[in-house]
Amino acid sequence: MDQKVVDELARIVGDEFVSTRDDVLLTYSASASIGYDSVRPGAIVRPGSTQEVADILTVANKYKIPVTPRSGGSSLQGEAIPRPDGLVIELLRLKDITVFEDLRSVRVGAGITFGRLDKFLNQYDLWVPVYPESALVCTLAGNVAVNGAGPGSSTYGCIAEMVLGLEVVLPDGTIIQTGTEGNPNAPGPFLRYAFGPDLTGLFIGSLGILGIITSVSVKAFKKMHHFHYETYGFDRAEQTEKFLMDLKQNEIGVLFASIYEGEILSFFMDMVEVEFGIPKHEWPPFTISAILGRVREDQLKSDTELTKRICEELGGHVIGISELPRGEWDKRMWTFARTSYLHGWHWRILYHHQTPSNWHRSIEEIWAVMDKYGLLGHTAGFLTGHGSYNFYPHLYFDPQDREEEMKVREAHKELAQRLFKTGAVPFKLAPYWIEDVEEMKDYLNLIKTLKRVMDPNNIMNPGIFGEM
Amino acid sequence: MTEIDLEELMENLAQCRRCGICRDAVYEDMGFDGICPVWKNTAGFETSFMRGKLMIAIALLEGRLEKTADNAEALYSCSLCGNCTEICAAEFDPTKSLELARAVLSDIPNEVRDAIAERILTTNNPYVTDKKGKRDWVAELGFEPPTKADTLYYFGCTAGMKLPETAKAAAKLLKAAGIEFAVLEDEPCCGSVMIRTGRLQDAKENAKKVLESIQESGAKIVLVSCAGCLKTLRKDYPEKFNLSMPKVVHFVEHFLELVKSGKIKLKPLGENVKITYHDPCHMGRELGIYEEPRDLLKAIPGVELVEMETNRRAAMCCGAGGGLRSYDPELSKKIAADRVREAENAGAEIIANACPFCEQNLESGAKLIDSSIGVADIVDLIVDLIE
Amino acid sequence: MNKRIVSELAKIVGEEYVSTREDVLLTYSETASMAKDPVTPGAVVRPGSAEEVSQILQLCNKHKILVTPRSGGSSLQGEAIPKPDGLVVELLRIKGITLHKELRSVTVGAGMTFGELDKFLNQHDLWIPIAPESALVCTVAGNVAVNGAGTGSSAYGSIAEMVLGVEVVLPNGEIIQTGSEANPNAPGPFLRYAFGPDLTGLFIGSLGSLGIITKVSLKTYKRMHHFHYETYGFDTAEQAEKFLIEIKNNDVLPMFASIYEGPVLSFFMDMVGEEYGIPEHEWPDRTISMTIGRLREDQLKSDVRKAKEICEQLGGHVIGISELPQGEWDGRLWVFVRTCYIHGWHWRTLYHHQTPTNSHRSVEEITAAMDEHGFLGHTAGFLSGHASFNLYPHFYFDPLDREEEHMIRAAHDELATALYKTGAVPFKLAEYWKGRMEGMEDYMKLLSAIKEALDPNGILNPGVLGGI
Ligand SMILES: Cc1cc2nc3c(=O)[nH]c(=O)nc-3n(C[C@H](O)[C@H](O)[C@H](O)COP(=O)(O)OP(=O)(O)OC[C@H]3O[C@@H](n4cnc5c(N)ncnc54)[C@H](O)[C@@H]3O)c2cc1C
Ligand SMILES: Cc1cc2nc3c(=O)[nH]c(=O)nc-3n(C[C@H](O)[C@H](O)[C@H](O)COP(=O)(O)OP(=O)(O)OC[C@H]3O[C@@H](n4cnc5c(N)ncnc54)[C@H](O)[C@@H]3O)c2cc1C
Ligand code: SF4
Ligand code: SF4
Repeated sequence: MDQKVVDELARIVGDEFVSTRDDVLLTYSASASIGYDSVRPGAIVRPGSTQEVADILTVANKYKIPVTPRSGGSSLQGEAIPRPDGLVIELLRLKDITVFEDLRSVRVGAGITFGRLDKFLNQYDLWVPVYPESALVCTLAGNVAVNGAGPGSSTYGCIAEMVLGLEVVLPDGTIIQTGTEGNPNAPGPFLRYAFGPDLTGLFIGSLGILGIITSVSVKAFKKMHHFHYETYGFDRAEQTEKFLMDLKQNEIGVLFASIYEGEILSFFMDMVEVEFGIPKHEWPPFTISAILGRVREDQLKSDTELTKRICEELGGHVIGISELPRGEWDKRMWTFARTSYLHGWHWRILYHHQTPSNWHRSIEEIWAVMDKYGLLGHTAGFLTGHGSYNFYPHLYFDPQDREEEMKVREAHKELAQRLFKTGAVPFKLAPYWIEDVEEMKDYLNLIKTLKRVMDPNNIMNPGIFGEM
Repeated sequence: MTEIDLEELMENLAQCRRCGICRDAVYEDMGFDGICPVWKNTAGFETSFMRGKLMIAIALLEGRLEKTADNAEALYSCSLCGNCTEICAAEFDPTKSLELARAVLSDIPNEVRDAIAERILTTNNPYVTDKKGKRDWVAELGFEPPTKADTLYYFGCTAGMKLPETAKAAAKLLKAAGIEFAVLEDEPCCGSVMIRTGRLQDAKENAKKVLESIQESGAKIVLVSCAGCLKTLRKDYPEKFNLSMPKVVHFVEHFLELVKSGKIKLKPLGENVKITYHDPCHMGRELGIYEEPRDLLKAIPGVELVEMETNRRAAMCCGAGGGLRSYDPELSKKIAADRVREAENAGAEIIANACPFCEQNLESGAKLIDSSIGVADIVDLIVDLIE
Repeated sequence: MNKRIVSELAKIVGEEYVSTREDVLLTYSETASMAKDPVTPGAVVRPGSAEEVSQILQLCNKHKILVTPRSGGSSLQGEAIPKPDGLVVELLRIKGITLHKELRSVTVGAGMTFGELDKFLNQHDLWIPIAPESALVCTVAGNVAVNGAGTGSSAYGSIAEMVLGVEVVLPNGEIIQTGSEANPNAPGPFLRYAFGPDLTGLFIGSLGSLGIITKVSLKTYKRMHHFHYETYGFDTAEQAEKFLIEIKNNDVLPMFASIYEGPVLSFFMDMVGEEYGIPEHEWPDRTISMTIGRLREDQLKSDVRKAKEICEQLGGHVIGISELPQGEWDGRLWVFVRTCYIHGWHWRTLYHHQTPTNSHRSVEEITAAMDEHGFLGHTAGFLSGHASFNLYPHFYFDPLDREEEHMIRAAHDELATALYKTGAVPFKLAEYWKGRMEGMEDYMKLLSAIKEALDPNGILNPGVLGGI
């Protein structure tokens, strides 16, 4: 990168926090995304305040330098891979937390991870009840930028549902605050839909293409202390799918519920059974691992009983093994990372959403593609929100086997197209989803129009949604 | 009194806050499934339902809109069914206010309105320009009712001229029940349509004439078979014209009493005949007579009373009232067709009613959509059932 | 309006559905908004489909005709008053309801009112738990366009929280579908956050200035049948406000909870006490009228107990008069309109949100303004989601007294500034907020830029959205 630019950056953040060292650039050339090519940026900058971010973007805009916002670097679909000779703005130094007990909300800087926030809120007996499975590394801001989901989402939906407002630096350096805090006199974040159209939403799931989120305000809830862990067995996919919808329909506080198909569960058990202390069991064709949670104990009891009844009315049975869901929930900030890596494979992920009643369609396509390409893999997912189901299939490859990796990439692309045809929608939009879909042209055009007006020089994470 | 208090009218009109609930409210708990039949059966611009009509009325009254026949169209494209009044949350009666506005604005040209008034005033009926025919049905009765008696059957223009079978049935019923009754020699029109369309002064003169005729008959009770006559004689004459009337009773009310007290007994009409009852606006919303006709129908052996989606205070109108049938016959019939569909959807074989004016329009509506549903006055239904 | 354009319009929608008659134009010159000057448009058109809307907007764009989208015309803050010689596009003919039972959602055309939808869903024992108080006249689409709230919002938030996607016609005539339905293969609406940035939100609360909504997809819920109606008395505003926050913290489900200040309640009782059959009572300084609702009876009982406990812990008492909340809830589709009009006054409303713990600040400012200017009025409000409180003060004037009306207009606008300074935010960013939001210039600039990008000719409802 041009030294003049680097100097200007150094003037903004201090010499210490800008780097063009080869070794440093190398470490920013990749993220947790496996199965993606690395790209070497031109410089890294680590701003310490919103104003610094604004000043940096002003400079980047002036010199038309492509910018990659980066927080935890834990994204899995290449979202934070930089442009050649571009600038990575890493936001982990933005570390404020302010709690607003009266407003039932909390505001965090872009550098705050879920783990850190959870510990902080615990002092107040509060929590933000949605946890991506990468909670120990990923930031709230980064998760809002991709609109993540995870344990807790079965009741509360994706992280978008928690957001009350954002502080965002636009590509031209303007600092915008959305939600009630847009009013400088407001006591804090108490409502997302405050000033006309919902500009907050514009940045949720935007993968950093429209601006840099420097601070996130989210809802806080009284922490739950009453949980029930249970597994439910079914013979048929339809029963299993219906079970999830019925739980939602009957207002059961189901914090996290996953469907495991027999074969996948066996594979999974081989992997973690001993480590998680799960008793041996002849698992049925379909198992649901669920955690019910409530603020009040009597509510939990009522939910537990009704859940059993719904299960049995559908022809299922309560399995009575609680270790699986308990392992998932109690260690939710770590355990999933563990199960993702424990087996030694590398993988590519194809995050997507289905509605529960379409769950089996994703499974069918995933199996079909794995068969076709002769790949190993694994898929799991969980209920997310009102009527959706979040899938995260992994396609495995040997990290030392370049050919297999390329096969996985190809299979991955085909799978995306096949899933799209089943009615699935992306969990985190990536170009391979919609590139050639005629029906989505106008939709993409609208995003492009917005991008053009907010980022006329197209410096922010260009190409991440495809050609803009 | 026919003097309209303009200030009061303006105050009332100002009570409309243009909330728009009177357009198409669907409110299951209160039984509403749509409000304005005119809105529903026209191109549906704001002028078609009460909110717009009142805006037009105010603008005409304040001189902000030129007083032309075109500009007054909205005022007359309304059956004054009162459904909007029923749902209106404000402290005034929009339908009444519109009716009064028509009167105040009666200088705006309207050929239909004036021709009807002309006929009523000169020939005692709104339909034709001679008096012939209104009493023809009497000749077919087989007996000659007197012109003076304690009970007067005030048969009305529509029964007399358009649905003579109903008039005959009514007379036969009276005879069968052993009630001695009179029929006027030259029955004047009640003038309802003149009141509705704003010819208030003429209506008042006409009302006096009606009262005189009734008095001449010596009647202590005036029996009517028409909901319009009922409302006009029972309510409008005393309230609007300060006339003191003898008791005015609808056939349905009267015969329900007779059935209840066991004075007359009814034979079965058939087996499980599904009948629905259409509430005439003048009887239902205006006078609150909802249950009597239903009770009478239920008292007929073999009748299964089924209700339409909208009934009683929330009943959709047949489209005939308020002068609409003359002002815009096509629209009026379309509205009737809607009501017929509603009856069909209720599974009814017959739409019973208690108003020849409604009946006539419902029949037109049924014809419009080739419906085979039966339309019958309750009087027609029971006339042959008296044991 | 130019005859040629009118005949083009007639070609699109048919002669019957376009009008330039003087009387018709007059009836579109106003809405339910009181104390607003009427403006006569040049034509009114009533399209019957999204395709027709698209053609109309293309035509208007070509000829730079100003367009006012209009549905129920029940908005109170001048949002649907047309431009001189402009075109009103009235959307009531766009009907249609599609229920997606397995997705827990429903799609409605722009012409469907809440009352119609509620009746339809009731057949399936479902509902959308939020209803604006104008439910019998206002459309779901119109309510989304203003992001309304009402009964049910105390538990479920504003209508935005129900939306899963919209079909919208952009000013250039493009028809966009947002949410999971953007995927033409999707089984229907099951997720709002489906394809990158949340474009749905852009149209929520946009007051028709960014596009015309032709369809809305919403969440449905199993209909509740268990309610408890109660009044709670407190000596101070702080206690009452805290009560609401604690109710939310403890997961009690308040379908509708309002705070009534002593004098306001007395006034209110004089008006409707008898009509609603509410017993005479010495009301305390602050009364909370609350309907608690639950799907299951045991949950309801538990909530009722908890609410009482919280109330008493805060030093309040359960009043035991249920007629007030019951009247509000059971009659919710009509009763509030009645209360708004029964007294005979005309009024202007100043819709806004506070957080509950700040709601006394609104009452103070409103009372001060009434004292200073010497007008009558009334204010009430309700809990509207996670931690917000929706206030709808009415300022009365005699409709036949022009002078009083103008005094009210001035006082109203002044008060908007004062309320903003207390930290309130608009409920519907109507025109009068323009220039009254100090410190939000950059936010409004972004909004303007977006507006300009989507609507370069500025044809859609110009000036309405906070002056944009
Ligand atoms: C083992 C494992 C498990 C995972 N499980 C989940 C899961 O359960 N749920 C889930 O949602 N995700 C999961 N992820 C993916 C990942 O953690 C999330 O995408 C996370 O939100 C990324 O956050 P981050 O802070 O690491 O952001 P990064 O990876 O640094 O960035 C992610 C994207 O957001 C942009 N971005 C980052 N910060 C900002 C900002 N401040 N402003 C604007 N744009 C910004 C970047 O440009 C990039 O496009 C998992 C990842 C791993 C490694
Ligand atoms: C008595 C009374 C009580 C009320 N109570 C409430 C309440 O409790 N909560 C509440 O939220 N509101 C309330 N309102 C206000 C009003 O009903 C709402 O604002 C309502 O949402 C307006 O809907 P509408 O269909 O009547 O839209 P309109 O009034 O026709 O339009 C409202 C705005 O939306 C735009 N618009 C309309 N349709 C579309 C569309 N299809 N696409 C894009 N833009 C569009 C218009 O241009 C305008 O800016 C009340 C009104 C009255 C009269
Ligand atoms: S007449 Fe009544 S219901 Fe109709 S708009 Fe006026 S106030 Fe509303
Ligand atoms: S009286 Fe009937 S027809 Fe006339 S405006 Fe009211 S509802 Fe419509």
